[in-house]
Amino acid sequence: MLEVQNISINYGVCAVVQDVSFALRAGKIIALLGANGAGKTTLLKSLNGSLPIAKGAVLLDGKELKDFSRREIARKIAVIAQETETKFPVSVLEFVLSGRFAHGAAFGWETPSDLQIAADCLKQCDLVNYENRQMNQLSGGERQRVVLARALATQAKILLLDEPTANLDLAHQALMFRLVKERCERENAAAIVITHDLNLASEFADEILLLKNGAIAAKGAPEKVLTEENLIEVFNVRVLLDENPHSGKRRVTTIY
Amino acid sequence: MFRNTRKIHFVILLFICFFSLTACRSANRTAQTEVKMRDIADDLGRKIKIPEKVERVVSLAPNLTENIFAIGAGDRLVGVTSFCNYPEAATKIAQVGDTMNPNMETIIALKPQIVFVSTASQIETFTKTLEANNITVFVTNPKDLNGVLTNLRQLGEIFGTPERTTILLNELFERIAAVDEQVRDKPKTKTFVQISKEPLFTVGKESFLTEIVERAGGISVTKDVATAYPKISKETALAFNPDALILSESPDNTEPNDVFKNSSAVKNKKVFKINADILSRPSPRIVDALEQIAENLHPQTNDN
Amino acid sequence: MIINGRKGEAEKRRKGEQKISASPHLRISSSKMLPALIGLLFLSLLSAVFLGSEKLSFFELTESQATILFDIRLPRILLGACVGASLAVAGAGLQSLLRNPLAEPYLLGVSNGAALGTMLAFVFFAQFEFARPVFAFAGAGAATFAVYQMAKSRAGMNVERLVLSGVIVTTFLSSIIVLLTSLLDAAKLRSFTFWLLGDLSQGTKNGFYLTFVVVIIGTIILTSQARALNLMMIGERDAFDFGVEIKKVRLIVFAVASILVGSSVAASGSVGYVGLIVPHLIRLLVGSDNRLVIPFSAISGAIFVVLADTIARVAIAPRELPVGAITALIGAPMFIWLLRRN
Repeated sequence: MLEVQNISINYGVCAVVQDVSFALRAGKIIALLGANGAGKTTLLKSLNGSLPIAKGAVLLDGKELKDFSRREIARKIAVIAQETETKFPVSVLEFVLSGRFAHGAAFGWETPSDLQIAADCLKQCDLVNYENRQMNQLSGGERQRVVLARALATQAKILLLDEPTANLDLAHQALMFRLVKERCERENAAAIVITHDLNLASEFADEILLLKNGAIAAKGAPEKVLTEENLIEVFNVRVLLDENPHSGKRRVTTIY
Repeated sequence: MFRNTRKIHFVILLFICFFSLTACRSANRTAQTEVKMRDIADDLGRKIKIPEKVERVVSLAPNLTENIFAIGAGDRLVGVTSFCNYPEAATKIAQVGDTMNPNMETIIALKPQIVFVSTASQIETFTKTLEANNITVFVTNPKDLNGVLTNLRQLGEIFGTPERTTILLNELFERIAAVDEQVRDKPKTKTFVQISKEPLFTVGKESFLTEIVERAGGISVTKDVATAYPKISKETALAFNPDALILSESPDNTEPNDVFKNSSAVKNKKVFKINADILSRPSPRIVDALEQIAENLHPQTNDN
Repeated sequence: MIINGRKGEAEKRRKGEQKISASPHLRISSSKMLPALIGLLFLSLLSAVFLGSEKLSFFELTESQATILFDIRLPRILLGACVGASLAVAGAGLQSLLRNPLAEPYLLGVSNGAALGTMLAFVFFAQFEFARPVFAFAGAGAATFAVYQMAKSRAGMNVERLVLSGVIVTTFLSSIIVLLTSLLDAAKLRSFTFWLLGDLSQGTKNGFYLTFVVVIIGTIILTSQARALNLMMIGERDAFDFGVEIKKVRLIVFAVASILVGSSVAASGSVGYVGLIVPHLIRLLVGSDNRLVIPFSAISGAIFVVLADTIARVAIAPRELPVGAITALIGAPMFIWLLRRN
């Protein structure tokens, strides 16, 4: 679905992302891990054209990203960015419906199907009866779920999530990942998730990209990437590795 | 260390300069107080002292400049405003800014004995600064025909030119009397004075032009409107339907406002332009305005 | 015990507050809002027609009364309505685009840019009637562009920078205007200062036709961008991610707002606060959806200026006040009230 070929991204003169390549296949989740400043967000931003790439190419369904219009990209790729705040009184429903922008005419009203989709997504994100609440009166976690609901409402096949669980409690962290996972499995969608939670990545991701100084340090299945050497190299922490007794996935425990 | 001492030297030098300057100034002051003084009251009723012989003055209003020239003391003006364009000789005198923003430093440098001011608005700061420099501030602002005549007489006394002033006043009295004669028994013409076309400004109750129009055999349709130069509603202006229009002639006030399109003034071609300077300045030329308006409203040639 | 009791009370109060603030705007349904606003517009136009410095006997108009009504009063009322609508729509558009409810043509220097442009046309091209709107538009556009360029930084554009840039551009342009007015002669100066305060008495029929066409087209274009603006209002990054051609929308909104402000400033000077409080009030009533806010602001802006100008015409009749003084007189306290409410 999304193919990244040897891309580099510069901020001014310094290269923030160097020669990164990977492919996102339908139904899969890729977790993007790395220390602060490793270039994760920058890389993610370039995947939907928010940031220009200096070298290489991003192929969306086999076509170069720059050959798509903004609208076409938005129909195929949804983004959950780090938190946004607005000074205007926007209701939850209005916010979620704005995710349908790329599907409707620029001018005009949402169709009944738009409303239905928005209602479904709110329900999925555990936000029943929130329609008329104001965005700026929600807690950080509630807001984050509304942001997810909006991304789901786009019905895009590719989800790009930048630390989607940052403000969420344990239950909602799990809910967020479950929703993304379900979406990927059931509708043949795919997702790239930036997270700092190695265990969540291990549980839900099909593939992990370990980023260091803008370059890929390791890439592959969670149990292959989440090794002691890799984690020492990238995060400079020592870890204990074992198996989650429930899922059988690799479990990482930091040694303080 | 070396640089520091140099700094200190410099500061000391500055102080010396400053003190010697103030010393000069106080010496100056004692010299001037020896001049014989006399008491006089200005239009604000302030008792002020002026020198026996007035030789250097500054005028901060174009009408005052005209008045001073008229009583024969124009040669004693050492400073005028940028608005002062009459008589011709006034334009050759040093300018000290305009009426609203006179330049204090320039005025003080000109060393006048008296500064003539037409507006009381800046009197506080004015008086303090100028009187600290031994300059008297004289506030005078004639508001009507009578005021102009009184002002001229007063200026004659201040400058010591009573003969010239008397001749001037007699001439003005005669001309005014002639106008009175000319318009006596004539019907009063409904007149609208258009100060500016857009927006439509006219003359109100407090303007001396209301009186001038009256004296010239007209009646200002806006004579009861509050303030001196009100912006008037176009609806009302149209409803007045004046028989004559007087335009204070300036580049953007050369034709009647559109609302007068169908007025009897425009239909009967009773639209008259009078130089804005003549209309707006309470000076001897106000009598010119009086004559011109009278001539416009009640032409002598037709009567004879 | 007592402490506990108080604590309970405070908590209750806090909860109560939360309940109230859960809907900070009154949320009148748009289906009721539209007829209500149109009714109000009709009423305000009607009262404006009936009120004036001259009393008109409407059932048997004399010839001069007919002229007063049809050549003076009506064109002025209609021009006022168009100016109000233009400024309110421009305000609503700029606020959403710049993600700042305080963005306003007047505060951002757009009005001053238009004023300076008009002034230049006034001084140098007085003989061409069309020079004023053209120069006003150019001035408004230049000011908008300057503010935008100054507010933009590599990290994007934040509100503080924007407001600061607006203040800088506004004061800079004001000083140029002051500089130019001091070069004007006294008669011109008076008419110009009056005009600067916002004055509808100088409006011509042509001025009305122009603002009318501009405001209709402008409102339609901005409303057509309303969905995109809804996203821009939340965040530029969001808008981009969800398929908005940010650059295109920005260009359209800046251009349309400049034309709207330019045409109304050319016709009536700078009438302040309309673009600020009208969209603000509308958002309070119907929420932030620009598909409602923009057209409703147009109608309400028209109502506001028509009423303000009626006051300006009759308050000290037969003298007149500049309408800008009335809008500021009503707008400033109202704005403070709105600020405190939020």
